[in-house]
Amino acid sequence: MRNSLYVFHKLCVNITPGRWPSLLLQNRLYAKYFPDFFQNPIFRKEDQAKLIENNELSKYTTVPVLPPSASETSMHFDPLVNKVINHIMKDGNKKLARSLLEKAFENVKRKQIERYHLAKTPEQKAKIELDPKNILHKAVENSKPMLQLLPIKRGGITYQVPGPITEHRSLFLAIKWLLEATTEKERTVHFPEQFAWEIMDAANNTGKVVKRKQDLHRLCEANRAYAHYRWQ
Amino acid sequence: MSRILQLSLRHINSVTKYPNQATNELLKNCARANSNKTRTNSDDLFQEFTDWETLNKKKTVSKAMKAYLERAREHDDFMKKQEFEFTVGKRHLANMMGEDPETFTQKDVDRAIEYLFPSGIYDPAARPLMKPPEEVFPARKAAEFDEAGRPHHFLFYTGRPNFFKLLYDASEHIQNIYKFEDKVIRKKAIPDPNAKLELTSSVWYSKEELEQHLVENITELEYENFKLVMERLVSLPYSYRSKEFIEKVRKPIASQKFALEIPKPSYDEEGREYITTYECLRKKARGDVTIRSPGSGKITINGKDITYFADTQSREQVTFPLLFTGMEDRVDVECNIEGGGPSGQAGAIRWGIAWGLRSFVDKSMIDSMQVAGLLTRDPRKRERKKPGQPGARKKPTWKRR
Repeated sequence: MRNSLYVFHKLCVNITPGRWPSLLLQNRLYAKYFPDFFQNPIFRKEDQAKLIENNELSKYTTVPVLPPSASETSMHFDPLVNKVINHIMKDGNKKLARSLLEKAFENVKRKQIERYHLAKTPEQKAKIELDPKNILHKAVENSKPMLQLLPIKRGGITYQVPGPITEHRSLFLAIKWLLEATTEKERTVHFPEQFAWEIMDAANNTGKVVKRKQDLHRLCEANRAYAHYRWQ
Repeated sequence: MSRILQLSLRHINSVTKYPNQATNELLKNCARANSNKTRTNSDDLFQEFTDWETLNKKKTVSKAMKAYLERAREHDDFMKKQEFEFTVGKRHLANMMGEDPETFTQKDVDRAIEYLFPSGIYDPAARPLMKPPEEVFPARKAAEFDEAGRPHHFLFYTGRPNFFKLLYDASEHIQNIYKFEDKVIRKKAIPDPNAKLELTSSVWYSKEELEQHLVENITELEYENFKLVMERLVSLPYSYRSKEFIEKVRKPIASQKFALEIPKPSYDEEGREYITTYECLRKKARGDVTIRSPGSGKITINGKDITYFADTQSREQVTFPLLFTGMEDRVDVECNIEGGGPSGQAGAIRWGIAWGLRSFVDKSMIDSMQVAGLLTRDPRKRERKKPGQPGARKKPTWKRR
C-alpha cells in the first residue's frame, strides 16, 4: 500500500531528472490508490450550501478530491438509508439488499396512500406521512435506546450495570432490532412486507422494537442500584 | 550526445557543491605555511619560534581533510568537464537542428532530444534527456570539518547532522509554543481563531524530497519520526507562530489545471452547440460522450435510452452530474460505450458527462463539481491474480503441513 502510494505520488507530483528510483519501474495501473491528501467528496447540496455560506468552497477547490464511489453517492443519497441497506446486505450482494429495501418502501408507500384516501377530513390527511424515507428515519429514531446494560464483574458476581450509550451504538442497536424483529416472521411472509410493517409500527411508536427498547429502559431503571459499579 | 549515455552511469556517483571560499582560504594558509618555511633562517629567535609553531600547526592537516580536498578538486574538474561538454553539445545540437546556437534555450534542447530520440518508454524519467550538469548531479555537502579534522556542526557525530538539527529545532519550537501558551493562560486570554495554520493545500516532503532538502540519506524509521514530530508541532494551538519553520518542509499540492482548458463547444448542422468527450474510462469500460445544448434531457446510450442499465445504481450514476448541475432538461446526452460491466460503464459515462458539462455551466458550478469529486478521474483497475495465491491479495489458509 505504502509503495503504491509512493509510485502514484512520484508520477503525479514531480519527477526528478537523473534519478531513477527502482520504485518507479514497478508501476502498475491497478496498484494505484489515492494518496492521503485527497479529500473526501462533498456532493450533497445541503453540505455544499454550508460550505458556500462559510466561504470555504474556494479552499476546497485547491485540494484534489476523491471520485465519489458509485454505491454511496447520487442525488438521492441518504446516509441512513445506505446504512440500513448495508445492514440488510449479505455476502456483499448490495443490489439485492437495495431492491429489498426499495420493495419495502413501495409497500409502505402503498399502505400510506391507502390510509390517505381512507382519511375523511383534510386534517387527518395532513397528518399522514407519505414519504417512506421519512418514515424510516422516524422509525429508527423511535427505536434508538438511550441506556444500555453493561455486564460488570464484582466479587465473583456479574451485575448488569446500566450506563449511557454512544450515539453510534444506539443507531446500531436500533437498526439491528428492526431487522431482528423482521426476521421473526412466518415463512410465507416476505422480507419487504414484514419490514414495511415493522418500520410503520416503530414510526408510530408501537410494535416489537419499541417494546424491546422500553423493556431495556425498564431493566436499566430496575438495576439502578448497581449503577455505582461502573466506577467503583 | 555522449553525455546522454554518460548521465545514466554518472548519476550513481554523488557530487559535491564545494564552497570555493573555504577551499581558497585553506590553500592560502598552506601557501603561507610554505613561505614561512623559507624564512626559518631569520635572526629573530622569537620570530623563529612562532614560525615553527605555525608550521607544526599546518602540518596537522587531517587525513580526512586531505582526502576531502582531493575529492573536491576531482569533482570540480569533473563538473567543469561536464559543463564544457554540455555547452559544446548544445551548440552541436543547435547546428543539427539548424538553429542559432546563441539563442538555443533548454526548452529547445528538450524538444530536439524528443525529436531526435523518440522514446516509447512509459516512464518519463527513463527517457533520454540532456540537462545542465547542476540539474543532473544532485548537490552534496561541503566540508563539515576544519583543517585539524574538528567538525563544525555540533551534531556531526550523529552521522546525520542536518536531520537531527531539524528535529532539534522542531522540539525547540514546541517548547517555545508551550511557554507562549502558558503565558497566554496566565493572562487569561483566548487563542485567536483567525490565526490558524492553513495546511490543506500542502503536504509534508516525501522521504526523497526531504533527503534532497537535507543533503543526507535517512532511513524509513527516521522519516516516520520526522513526520511524528512535525505533526505534533502542527497540532499545537499556537503552531502558527512557527509557520515559517513548518512551511520549509512542506510542499504545495499540484494545483488543478482543468479550469483553464475548458473547450469551446462547436455547432452541428442543426445549429446546436455540442461537445464530445473522448476516452471516458472507468475500470474496463471506455467510450465517448456527446452533450448537445439546447436539449430536452434525452439520454441515449448505445442507441437505447437510460433503460440500457437494468439496475438503479447505474441509472443514478448517469443522471448524477446532470441533476447536480441542474442541466437535466436543458441538454441532450449521447454516449457510445463498450467493455466492462454496468458499474464501470455508468462510471465512465458519469465522468464523461461531468467533463463535457464544464463548457455549459458557470465557474462557480465547476468549483462545486470539483468539490463533489465529479471531475476527478478514477484510474483504478482490477488488480491481477498472483501465482501461488488464490487472489490478488488473498493468501491460502495457513497449514502446518
